[in-house]
Amino acid sequence: MDLSVKNLWVLQIAGVEVWITETIFNTWLIMLFLIGLAVIARIKLRKFKTIPTGFQNVIEAVVEIFDHFASSTLGEKLAYIAPWFFMVFMFILSSSLSSVFGLRAPTADWITTFALAFATFTLMLAMGFKHRKGDYLKSFFSPHPIFFPLNLLGELAKPVSLSFRLFGNMLSGTIILTLYYALTPVFVQIGIPVLLHAFFDVVFGALQTYIFVILSLMYIRGAAE
Amino acid sequence: MLSMFVLAAPVAPEGRVFGLDAQTLIGVGIQLLNGIILAVALGFILYKPVKEFMQRRAEGIQSQMDNAEAMMAKANALVAEYERKIKNIDQERLELLEAVRQKAVEESKVILEEARKEAAALRRRSLERVAEDKKRLQEEARLHIIEVASLMAQKYLAQKIDEATEEQLFAEAIAQLEEAQWPN
Repeated sequence: MDLSVKNLWVLQIAGVEVWITETIFNTWLIMLFLIGLAVIARIKLRKFKTIPTGFQNVIEAVVEIFDHFASSTLGEKLAYIAPWFFMVFMFILSSSLSSVFGLRAPTADWITTFALAFATFTLMLAMGFKHRKGDYLKSFFSPHPIFFPLNLLGELAKPVSLSFRLFGNMLSGTIILTLYYALTPVFVQIGIPVLLHAFFDVVFGALQTYIFVILSLMYIRGAAE
Repeated sequence: MLSMFVLAAPVAPEGRVFGLDAQTLIGVGIQLLNGIILAVALGFILYKPVKEFMQRRAEGIQSQMDNAEAMMAKANALVAEYERKIKNIDQERLELLEAVRQKAVEESKVILEEARKEAAALRRRSLERVAEDKKRLQEEARLHIIEVASLMAQKYLAQKIDEATEEQLFAEAIAQLEEAQWPN
């Protein structure tokens, strides 16, 4: 395992050099897995019963728990943006869990976490202007116009803090595991890493997923209300 | 597998942990696009259909529960109605008996009235028949007396008077008898 994000291909698109990194490739793998899972669920949906069992239970539980969580955090009037955060939730969680299978988590790269945080920031602005219109703009000059720079910085800091929080936490797990594999003898690398992966990838991953999603939802609700 | 891709890359720069340059921006753009594609795919394939399915099911269950509740309310109303009827059954029985008694009294009055009218008609007819019989008997008695008187007078006159006197007396007697007024 390596700390740095490898570059797999260098493409020339319209004269622009584009690095296809390990992060982007792993993201595609995770996307493929999630879309495949969704397609299987969609096919099985035709046979879903009134009383759920097995696979139907899992799918229903995931969608229902997330929908309830998003609706209660966002409120009914913003519930229509829940599908975006369903994707964010599933993607971050899958990214964290992908480390268990030896992949470098895409969320351990700042480009991924900033892309997600930037989407949250854009949604926050959009919802703020859509639901509060001029009042949202006025909030930047509140309680006095002299506070405008501070308020602006405060708003701009949100995507930065969101992205670095997730990136830092996921990268810390990656660093610790990399160091463990690099510094310990081979015989200690059997069994014990399971616990480390369970802690840093599964527990930390789930926790960071929850934190990222709930903060994003609260920022958006705060902007829209 | 990953090393194969690395080898296949024409010019693969060294990897890095973090950087702030044009490649970072491009990477962010690609990841954003990936996120949008994944959100659309998951939303349309999984999230919305499953949510709609659960909503339809919840509505179906709610409708069944509403129906059951309505039927329960109807059943409860019916039970209450029967309980009320059972409680009032004595009162209803008394009312029914009173009504029947009243009807019987009215019917008996009608029957008595009819019987009275019939009896009166019968009496009237009987009296008329008695009067007719009396008249007939008087007539018969009068004729019989005339006959007897005629015979007595005939016998008497046969002994005391001659033929001419006898016929004169007989004629006078007959005339007197015919003129006589019979009491009713």
